Amino acid sequence: MLLGYRLIWPATLLHLCLAVLGSQSELFTEKLTINSLQDGKVASKFTFTALLKGASPRDPKTLDGEDESQHYTLFPLALGQILREYGVTELHLTLNAGNWNYDRWGYPGESGVGTGAELWAWMGDGASKTVDERWKGLRNALAGLFCASLGSLDELRTTSPAESFVPEGSLPRWDAAHQIRHASLPSEHVCTENLTPFLKLLPCKSLSGIASLLNPHRLFDADWHGMGVHVLWHEGEGVEVRLTFQAVSDPLRSLLGKKQDWSFQSLYDRTIHRACPVAQSSEVVVSLPTNAVYAIQPEPHAVERNLAVYDVNTIDKPLNIRLIWPDPFTYPLEYHSDSTPFSVKRMLRGSSQAWGQLSVVITNHRSTEVKTLYLETMPWLVQFYLHTIQTRVNGVIKDGVFSNLTYIPSVPHSRPTTFQVLLTLPPKSTVEITMEVTKAFLRYTEHPPDAQRGWDLPPAVFTPVEVMENGSSSPPLMGRIYSSTLLVDLATPDFSMPYNVIIFTCSVVAFSFGSIFNLLTRKFAVLRFPPDNAQ
Amino acid sequence: MTSDSKAPPPPTLNFTAVFIALVAARIWLSLTDLSNVLKHEQELSSPLTSFSQLQEGIYLFQHDVDPYSGGSFRHSPLLLSLFTTVLPSSRTLASLLWTLNDVAGAWAMVEIWRARQHLRSSPRDILIASLYLLNPYIFLPSVALSTSSLENTLMLLSILFACRKKASAALFTLSFLLHLSLSSILMVLPITLLLVTDPHSHLASPKALAVPLKALVLPLGEFAVYTAFLTLVSTLVVGGGDWISQTWGATITLPDLTPNTGLWWYFFTEMFDHFRPFFLMVFSTHLLIYIIPVCIKYQYDPLFASFILIGILGTFKAYTTLSDPGLFLSMIAIFPEIYPHMRHPIVTALLHLHAALLMPLFNHLWLTQGTGNANFFYATTLVFACANAAGLVDCMWAGLRIAIGEEAEGWAVVQE
Repeated sequence: MLLGYRLIWPATLLHLCLAVLGSQSELFTEKLTINSLQDGKVASKFTFTALLKGASPRDPKTLDGEDESQHYTLFPLALGQILREYGVTELHLTLNAGNWNYDRWGYPGESGVGTGAELWAWMGDGASKTVDERWKGLRNALAGLFCASLGSLDELRTTSPAESFVPEGSLPRWDAAHQIRHASLPSEHVCTENLTPFLKLLPCKSLSGIASLLNPHRLFDADWHGMGVHVLWHEGEGVEVRLTFQAVSDPLRSLLGKKQDWSFQSLYDRTIHRACPVAQSSEVVVSLPTNAVYAIQPEPHAVERNLAVYDVNTIDKPLNIRLIWPDPFTYPLEYHSDSTPFSVKRMLRGSSQAWGQLSVVITNHRSTEVKTLYLETMPWLVQFYLHTIQTRVNGVIKDGVFSNLTYIPSVPHSRPTTFQVLLTLPPKSTVEITMEVTKAFLRYTEHPPDAQRGWDLPPAVFTPVEVMENGSSSPPLMGRIYSSTLLVDLATPDFSMPYNVIIFTCSVVAFSFGSIFNLLTRKFAVLRFPPDNAQ
Repeated sequence: MTSDSKAPPPPTLNFTAVFIALVAARIWLSLTDLSNVLKHEQELSSPLTSFSQLQEGIYLFQHDVDPYSGGSFRHSPLLLSLFTTVLPSSRTLASLLWTLNDVAGAWAMVEIWRARQHLRSSPRDILIASLYLLNPYIFLPSVALSTSSLENTLMLLSILFACRKKASAALFTLSFLLHLSLSSILMVLPITLLLVTDPHSHLASPKALAVPLKALVLPLGEFAVYTAFLTLVSTLVVGGGDWISQTWGATITLPDLTPNTGLWWYFFTEMFDHFRPFFLMVFSTHLLIYIIPVCIKYQYDPLFASFILIGILGTFKAYTTLSDPGLFLSMIAIFPEIYPHMRHPIVTALLHLHAALLMPLFNHLWLTQGTGNANFFYATTLVFACANAAGLVDCMWAGLRIAIGEEAEGWAVVQE
């Protein structure tokens, strides 16, 4: 016993030293931002950032050799292993449910709000395994980690839109260039089974700090919710993992819902009881109403430009921030969206299962010309007829709205279409782009089990850009804007009768073949009937 | 004035006048907006022959995107180069072009008839021309601007040149046709035979092939040279060999399962994945099986052998449109000698009527109305295949039976 205690003391000391060393090279911060929206809803955004100081992404050339050992205390090991295994420099995974309403809610805190799952990664080339092989491994590993159907982000959905998805961090200057792979799966639904592994990546799980507010019962009840995993490399700083969760809750939904009041208790059904001890900073930022009477409790530590800031580490617990309006909420007659330059409506028109028309209506709210990249990454199920593109400005057919066409046509049963143009939206006007499309006819084994439901098509992505004099477009002005997803209704064969079809068709072919070869091989003969002797 | 000149004119109509009237009617039809209405009809244009796909390919070609890098464009590079340079790609002008193309086809058919009968002109010319120009199976795909109309004309021109012993023209046309549609490889042997023999009717008096088989070597070699030349041209036009798998490959591997009038599409929609390559091989080989037996059996009349093989193409090839069986039906007009020996022309006609009425209806019910399902349309294509096969077998029977002559009392004609 005595010997045991003597051994434990040095071991504990060593552990403490390691922890101190570790905390110097790793940094964990957490932040919650809460916004009241124009239509009475409340947007909350959780951000958990782990920074691995001085680390750099793995050079794909070293993928064949033994990797350096990975000792993390705050940085999520499960994710770190995947990143190093496949030599990923930058990674963005978002799992969202619902359609972000830019017109009413403004621009989201995290730009990746496309419906369903979206995964994009920048990877260095030059390894013995190609980028595509590593991309396949990456999506399967992430599928396992987050319990999502990311394995379906296969070559049927993978594209390389480098201009619309520029790296958000920096890319190391290796010999071989970096390549992007992007795929989205709009039919993927985010739910509790995705949140649990997400929480496991956090150093304090959901036991303390801001993460203790992540209550799946309330978050997945929100009007819109989505989680994101972002891995970036900042030159000179290190590798950053940013885990985000966004939710749009509706305080007016309750039976008493005349007022916009919210509190941690009403939004998440939880309050913060303990601070996360390893978080370097842990703050809650509430944006305060500008032209309304309100009361906020408890008193914030600081108020800067209509933002009330709380430091969770130092404030009295349990923390339950409340924002109270004395007046009932009145819906605005019209919504003004300052944070998004234009709004987008996308439709697939036509009742036929063989062809249709894709229509995209973009309304520029600004009084200046806006340029934006318009990207469609369409599975081969819907095939574009580019020669039928028509652009209308305020209802009048006008050419010259789009330029810089990049088009990679789809290949049946494998590659999706990549269609990207640079749109010039005249000030205060509505641009409509229409294009005829044909809908594919699938083999019966390619249909999903619920074939009559149709196929979800990924959202179009708009990236506002500023175009330089020399024609090259600068890095995006602001984040991407996602359109809503589409549902395409494809013709279905009769799933119950493959045998019947094979038998019927083969019978017709066999009968024809038999008759023809009967004629070709047998000779004609003239026979004499014997005279009728019987009568 | 003599009394003769006061007599009423002979009842035969002037061929030129009627032909011009027919052409005028077709041009009037082409100037209507029908082509836009019919462009999505799947019975009229398949993915390999659709004009919209051709326009898409032209658009991509002109915007520096290789049309063969994707999977949708399946037209020959020869068509692509013609339509990006000399031929019009707008719908209105193309409608006129397609009408003129049909006129050329009708003229070729009349000339084939004249060559077979060894006549300068005959009262039957008008009937033959109108059977081609007014056959709905032929003019509807042409109004919908399906390139299968161009294939039909090339086929007829090739046969006409072969009848006239113009070897180079016939073989070059045939080689061009092969580039538009790989299945027309069936026609190489009968047309070469036609080239070395004569187009006259010998159905009633069968005899062995008069020319030695060695005589075929030279035309076949010439055909191979033309094909190689056009392949080279195609490769140069698009700057690579991707077009081969996109155009010819599509006929064999059937990547696009869009419904058409043929037997392949639903069969391979419903086919189990692990049997797909086997049955693709079976269906492709099945077409090739017919060439040699038909050419041996009808060696004394290669024009009739060509006619039979056209019927087989219209029934069994991949990506058929209505104009493929339509060509067979119109060509029946060239062989009036077999009519008395046909066994069931009314059954064939009724089967065609059934299929022709129900095919567009059931296609619409399935894909647009949503009140029918795929089996409706599939069933009508089966009936259509039966109709084509019935016509084909009947013509083959009649073409053989004619050699026996009239049946006498107390005698019967049977097959051994």
